[in-house]
Order: sequence, then C-alpha cells, then structure tokens
Amino acid sequence: MPRFRVDHRTEYLYGRAMADGFTSTHLEPRNAPGQQVLLANLRIEPTPDELEQVTDPWGNRVTLFAVHHPHESLLLHSIVEVEVESPPLPAHDPPWETVVRAAAAATGDLALEVGPYLALTEQTTVDTTDALAALTSPEFVPGRGVVEAVRGLCGRIFGEFRFDPDVTDVSTPLATVLVERGGVCQDFAHVAVAALRSVGLPARYVSGYIETQPPPGQPKLMGVDASHAWCSVWVGDHGWVDFDPTNDQMPPQRHVTVGWGRDYHDVTPVRGVVIGAGGTQSLTVAVDVTCLD
Amino acid sequence: MAFDSLRYSPVAGRFDEVRTDDGQLRPTWQAVARALGPLEPGVLIERQRQADRLLDAEGTGHLVHDLSVGRAESHPWRLDPVPFVLDAVEFEWLAACAVQRMQAIEATLADCYGAQRLVADGVLNPATLFGLPGYRPTAGGPGVIARWVSHYAIDLVRDDGGVWYVAHDAVDAPSGLGYSLLNRAVLARLLPDGLRAAGASSIHRHADVVRRALAAVAPPGRPSPRTVVFSGGPTSDTYVEHSYLATRLGVHLVEAADVVMRAGRLWLRALNGLEPIDVVYRRLGDAYLDPLEPGHHGGGIGVPGLVWGARRGGVTLANAYGAALAEAPAFAAALPDAAQHLLGEGLRLDMLPSGARLATSPVFDRTSGSLVPRPLVIRLQVAAHDGTFTVMRGGAGRVLAEGDEPLHPTAQVAKDVWVLDPPGVPRSPVLVAAPSLPPQVDFGASVPTRVADALYFLGRAAERAEVAARTLRVVSQQLEQDPALVSVADGGWAIGARALLRAAQGVPLTAVPEGVPLADAVATEVWSAAGVVGGQLATVVREAASVREYLSTTTGRVLGRIAEAQVALADGVVSPDALDTVLVDLAALAGLATESTVRGPAWRFLDLGRRLERALAVLGATEAALALDVSPLGLQPVAEATLAANESLVAYRRRYRSDVDLDAVLDLLLHDDANPRSLAYQLDRLREHVASLAWPDGATIVNDASLAALGHPSDTVAAGRRMHIDAFVIGVRGHLLGLSDAVVQRWFADPVNPTVMRGR
Repeated sequence: MPRFRVDHRTEYLYGRAMADGFTSTHLEPRNAPGQQVLLANLRIEPTPDELEQVTDPWGNRVTLFAVHHPHESLLLHSIVEVEVESPPLPAHDPPWETVVRAAAAATGDLALEVGPYLALTEQTTVDTTDALAALTSPEFVPGRGVVEAVRGLCGRIFGEFRFDPDVTDVSTPLATVLVERGGVCQDFAHVAVAALRSVGLPARYVSGYIETQPPPGQPKLMGVDASHAWCSVWVGDHGWVDFDPTNDQMPPQRHVTVGWGRDYHDVTPVRGVVIGAGGTQSLTVAVDVTCLD
Repeated sequence: MAFDSLRYSPVAGRFDEVRTDDGQLRPTWQAVARALGPLEPGVLIERQRQADRLLDAEGTGHLVHDLSVGRAESHPWRLDPVPFVLDAVEFEWLAACAVQRMQAIEATLADCYGAQRLVADGVLNPATLFGLPGYRPTAGGPGVIARWVSHYAIDLVRDDGGVWYVAHDAVDAPSGLGYSLLNRAVLARLLPDGLRAAGASSIHRHADVVRRALAAVAPPGRPSPRTVVFSGGPTSDTYVEHSYLATRLGVHLVEAADVVMRAGRLWLRALNGLEPIDVVYRRLGDAYLDPLEPGHHGGGIGVPGLVWGARRGGVTLANAYGAALAEAPAFAAALPDAAQHLLGEGLRLDMLPSGARLATSPVFDRTSGSLVPRPLVIRLQVAAHDGTFTVMRGGAGRVLAEGDEPLHPTAQVAKDVWVLDPPGVPRSPVLVAAPSLPPQVDFGASVPTRVADALYFLGRAAERAEVAARTLRVVSQQLEQDPALVSVADGGWAIGARALLRAAQGVPLTAVPEGVPLADAVATEVWSAAGVVGGQLATVVREAASVREYLSTTTGRVLGRIAEAQVALADGVVSPDALDTVLVDLAALAGLATESTVRGPAWRFLDLGRRLERALAVLGATEAALALDVSPLGLQPVAEATLAANESLVAYRRRYRSDVDLDAVLDLLLHDDANPRSLAYQLDRLREHVASLAWPDGATIVNDASLAALGHPSDTVAAGRRMHIDAFVIGVRGHLLGLSDAVVQRWFADPVNPTVMRGR
C-alpha cells in the first residue's frame, strides 16, 4: 500500500506587527475509507496563545488558534503521512436513477449521511441551470450506471474547462466559472458537485492534496503546488466513490484526503482574521507531496 | 348609548379593529374611546404635534438618521396618536400562540443543530435545511447551547375576515422592544389619564424580564453575570433602540471595536483595562458577528473568535449564533410539521397566505387631518426566563402603506399597542416575588475606551464650535455697529480682528496677502469661521450619537437642535440670530454636562476635552489679538473683541470700570482663577481631572503647564510684536499640546481593523 508524505507550508507576511490574530484550519487529514493517517503534525509560528482541536459537523479535524501578541508573520507548517489503498469499485454499477431515488427516500442515519450533500449551497448554486443541464443531460441518460455516468460527467468537465488560475479567485461565484469555462481545482470540484446535486446525487466537495512528483515518463499533473480538491459521490449501498474532474481520474491515484464538506467554505484549509493597523499582506504557499514507497 | 365621538369610517366589508360592519364601536373600543376623549381633528393634530416633539426629544429617527452621521436616506419614524387595542382575552390567546411558536422554534433549532431527528425521520428535507444560508455548521450542538432563543418577537396580522395570522418570526436579533418602550413613554406623556382610564397594562417592567432572561443564559459558574448590548453602532438602522435598551437594562452598549476575545472569553476594552463579559445581547445578525466564521458578511466587521468562544462556553450569545436559520421562509413552512413531531402539538396560528387582504385600524392622516383606515402589523415581544415565558403586555404596530408587503412596511408610522387588563381583576405585576439581580455595571467606574474617546472629542469640538461662533458673532457685531472700524489705527483693528478669527478657527496666523483690502481679508475669515462652526457642530453630533446613553435624555433634544443649526450653517445662513441660537444651544449642552451628568471617568473625559480646548483657545486669542503692537486707538476695540469672544467683557467692565488696559486684560484672561474663562481656571480643572484619573504622567504635564502659566508677560515690543506675550503663549501651549497627545496615547484604544486573511 503506497504511503505519502505531505509537506505544506503557508506563510503570511503582514508588513507590520499585528496585535491579534485568529485562525481556523482544516489541515490535519481525517481517516477515511482507503486512507489511514500515520502522522499529522502542525507547527505554528509564532506559538499561539491559545489553541483548540475539534471535529466539525462533517467529521473533519479542525485546529483553531489565536495569537495575542504582536507578530509580523504567521507560519503554518503541516507534515502529514498517510497510507492509501484504492477501494474496490462497486461490483455492480446501479442505474443512476435508482441511486437518486434511494438518496431522496433515505431516512435515519443514511439521511444524515447523504442529506447534507444534496443541498444547494451558495457556492454550488446558479440562478439558471442551463449550463449545468448541458453538462449532465448527455451523460445521465436513462438506465446508465451511476459510476459510468459520473465518470462521463467528470471527463466532460475535464474536456470543456481549462485549468487557469487567472480566471478565478476564492470568491468567484459558480456562475462565472460556468461562463468563463475555466478555473482551478476548487472550481472544477464545485462545477462537478453542483452538476451532480442538480440531478439529485449526493456529492461531497473533498479537500486534500495530489502527489507533486510524477513517476518517470508520465506528464506532470495540474493542481500541484497547492491544495487540491475533487468530489466524492454516493453511489448507493456501496457508499462513496471519488472523482477528480481536474485530472479526469478516480482518486486515490496519488490523492491525499484532508476532509470534506458541502463546499469549499466547509473545509477551507486556512481562514484567518488579523487585527492591527493595515499593512501589506503577502501569502506564500508551498505544497510538496512525495510517495514514500 | 355608547360614547362615540370617533370621526372614522372604515371600508365596508373589511374587518376593522374599531367598528363593526354596522358601524358600531366594538365593545373593547367603547371604554377606550371614552378614555381617549373626543378625537376631533383639532385634538388629533395637537396630539400628533406633541408626539412628534416628544420623539424628537428622544432623538429618535432624528439625531442619527436625519442628519449627517453617514446615511444618505433618512426615515424619521412617527408615532400615531391613536393606540391599537387588544382586550385581555384576545391578548391571552395571542400570547399563548406566541409562546407556543417560540417553543416550537427553540425545539426545531435545537434539533437542526443537534440530533437532527427531523431529518432522520423524514420531516425536514435535508437538501433544503443544509442549503439554507442561515444554517451555520459551526454553531455548536447539544451540551454547548443551552438555549437558542432567549428573546423572540412575532409579527401578527389580521386578515379582512378578522382571523389572526403570523407574518414573520423575528429570531436572529429581534428589534422592537426598545421602540415599544419608547412609544409607550411618549403616549403616557400625551394621555396620562387615558392609559389609566382605558385600563391599559403597564409594560415598563418588561425590561427587567429581559434582564432576567439574559442573566439566565450566562455560562455556568458566573454568579453575577455581566451583559452587554452589542450594536453595529450609530449607522445601524435601529441604533436608537440599542442605545435606549442599554440604558433601560443598565448595561453597556458596545460595538465590535470595544471588545476582544482572549482565552475563550470576551472582554470589554475599558479605561482600567480588560473587563470580562458573560452575555452578549446581540442586536447584530448572525452574518455580521464574527469574521472568522464561514458565510460572514461585511469583510472584517465583527468580533473575531466570538463564535469560537461561545462554542467553548466562555461567553453566551443571546440569541445563539445560528438562530437566524429560523427566519428562513422554508423553516417557517416546515415549523408546523416540526412542532407536531417534536412537541406533539399542532401550531395554533398559521402563516399569512400571500396576497391576503388585511383588516384595518384608524390611523391619523396628516394631510387630511382625519382618521383613515389602514392595515398594520403588530409585533409582540416574548422572553424566556426562569423556566417560563413572558409576553410583554403591549407592543408596537407598524402601519402599512399602500402596496406594502406585511414583512416590509415602508411607511415609518408606529402605533403603540395597548393590552387591556381583565375587568375586575387586580393588575398583576409582571414578575411575582422575583429575587433581585445584582446591579450589572457601575457606570461610574466602568467606561469603555471608545466612550471616553468619543466624549473627549465631543468636549473639544463643542468648545471649539463655541469659540468660533462667539468670535464670529463679536467681530460681525463690531463691524455692523461701526463699519469705519476697518480703517481705525491704520487697520489695527482689522488686522487684530482677522487674527482673532483665524485663531478661533485654529489655523496659523499669517500676514494679510499683498494687495487684498483689509475689509475683504476680514470678510474671508468671517466666511471660513462659519464653516469651522458647522464642521465642529457636525463632530459634536457624530460623537454624541455614539455615546447617547452617557448623556442625559434632555441632551438628545439639544443635540437635535444643534444638528439643525449645523444644517443651516452648511446652507450658508450666518446671521447673528443663527449664531446666537447656536451659542445658546452650546451653552445648554455645557450646562447639561455640568448639571445632569454623574461625576465619573466618563464625565471627566468630556470635561477634560472641553477644558483643554478652552485653554488652547484663550492662548490662541491672546497671541492673535494682544501680542500685536497696535496703537491704543486700535487696541481698544481689539481687546474688547478678545474679551467678548472669551465671555469676559462683562466681568472686565464690572471689575475695572475703565477703558481697556492691556495688563488688566491679560490678568483677567490668563491668571484670574475666579474667571471661569481664564487659562488659570482651565488649568485648575485639568489638575483635578488628572488627579481623579490617578494619572501621574498627566499630572506632571499639567503641573509643568501651570508653572509656565505663572509668568506675567510684560510689555516688551519688538518687530511689531509684544515678545513676552508670544513667549508666554508658546511656553504654555507646548505643554497643553503635550497633554493632548498624552491623553490619546494613554487612554484611547489603537484603531482596530480586523482583516480577513486571503488564501486558498
């Protein structure tokens, strides 16, 4: 079973001393089907004056901390080691309509497991669904297997959208992404999640990493040197299956899962607020994922 | 025959609160109509006029929203002189419905953020619930939030058939309680006997109920919990109410910049350091509380870490973070099923169907001077405390304009809602044998830094406005009485008067530009001094608006007048009458500060600002007018102007009964500690203030200033200046400016600018 090591440095330079800083992170990975966490070490500089580790409602690990003394920079250095194993695909690929009906009729624990991921949140909603329908209707034809249909959808997104960091930022609405036909992995994941929920399939937004160094002879994958994002779909009794529309793959090929939620807001890697006289702010992020075997 | 002097005809076939279909007064209204007396047009017009005046006195709608405090649009609201009346039976039924609904909302919120039985059992569609913007995954669940809704308000309407419906549940940060108390205070002044004769229940003790409700949700182990009212500040729509409520509850009104999170607890930035806070009565919506939270609106506004602290149990938010979920239409739509599922009972009140025609009530129409039928929405207030619920026996109604949705009344006309006591039943107090709560805050000792800051600059601006207005008044009057003054003593008067005006504006003394006639140079300064008066008055209004609860009620009325004067000055009205009005209002403001304000740190900072500015003004005037070496013929009117501008001319004439003598003038203005306008008097007051604040560094500076002020400037002339006066002024002023810097550094908070960090 392959083991991966993630080295993720996030550094903020404020230009001036900030009196106070509050930060909430989704950096330490959770255990998941096919992923065992061996090591999760988050180093913070300066040393926080208070810190708390909690689990959010989606089951992810959250570290909240605050610095109450003057500081001109903030460094978050996360070292992670996980062991991953590709879970088997469902032996039988059920028709997607069956899965949609089962999700809608779910009660009890199943309703709580799949329900939140049917919701159309702010980042997965568009006023007119034409663009989403154009993506889904060729793939979700009657009777087609759900895994096959989702693979088709992700392949379509991969083919029709270009990877372009200049098109979007963290606040770009989904509607813009659909018009511009481009963006980064977060945008690809949001398009896929929104499209899947629009047909009634429970879909999670997954936050994590992808291996940086490709094996010899293989092309370098996009979405490297930063956090990565993809989606996970409930396919019925078999449970959840991941799909990466940015790379047209089915994780975990070289993927490390940190956590999941309804959209990016639920699993933002680093969210912070600083208090102090306004200075310039610069952010450096460096992600390095290596396969240890 | 029933007493019926109401000149009012409702629309036929539409339920009316006052008249039945056949035109008779409803039984409830027969007693009320008698109590209100004949409602003839003249009476109504007079009552409306009084109501307007009383509301203005409270500064409602005015002060903040009419005037340049930062909002373009102004919506002063008005109180209708005719109350809305509910009889005891109808009220008890509505109150029971309101309590039932509040319980249903509480149970549903607790479930949505907790066990989620409603989702598991198929009552609530998860795709709907988890997609609502008001759903806050970080709100915290069971064991963390003991109560989601402490204070609830319900909007009720009656349709044209007379059936009651719910129009809206106010759960996020329900407004209206302060307005209800304010409305009642006004009507009680207007109709003191009417309320009693009609048998209307008193509502003034409901503030105590809310205090108890807030204390009840304090984190465990806080025997004497401290509450604050958390407001968005003077630019909030309902700031008047926030300020009024804080006063009525006896707690601090705080804004985001006043508080900070440390170690999971919330602290007030006060003059004496950080003071702990236990309960936040929030008047800001969920979305504006904490910039650290996902889904936060408004960039960096709010208190970072507040929700985290609430989740850790260090501070309680009332209502809880996440309660806004209950205001979503989809939540309201699901409430009947949720109530049935969780509480096992059906809701007694239905939501108002869209497009329903509403019942009417008589509302005074200013244009026609008569009563006209209008639909309205009434809001009742409910508080949860001591294991029970109390519905305030009264409320506020909002009159709907033509085409208004009941959720969004555009007309700013309010109605006081009266609830009648049951006949023959002695009036019961709101609380029976309630143990008393310990006092919340010693306002004398605890002062938020921002408040001290605002009061200090309020004091300075008021004093600067007064000096500029008075100087302007004096110079204009001199010129009016004797236009030939301009050419007296080779322009000695004009040069002095111009310098005096510049000093009053706080701008440097400069030579008259080459080629500009003296008369024009004086006129220029008159014009720009008027601008300075207007600018300082605007500062007075702005600073006062943010610290209303530290000023007396009457102060609101004076500030309303000052705000009007400021608008007039901005429009270029600089008549002596207008200036006299400004001076009288400023004197009233100063008098209220002296006579109606408790002597604590808050008052000290107000007076400190005032004294410091006055000392600087006296020095400025002395330097401008008396250091000039002019002939005795020119000195006479200039010295008189200086004395008059510093309110010392009458004192001078009483004491010296002579023509102006420079040494005597200087003595009265600088050294006479019996003259409340003198430099020496200001220094004495400053010494008292720094001593009372136990501030050694400040005491040192004031002492240095006093030593420098002991010298007597003698008459040594060089280059047209009396050198010793200049040296004296420069020496003392240096220390005073040092004091001004030291006050800001020592006492006032750094500007707090939360910034959200970007990142992917």
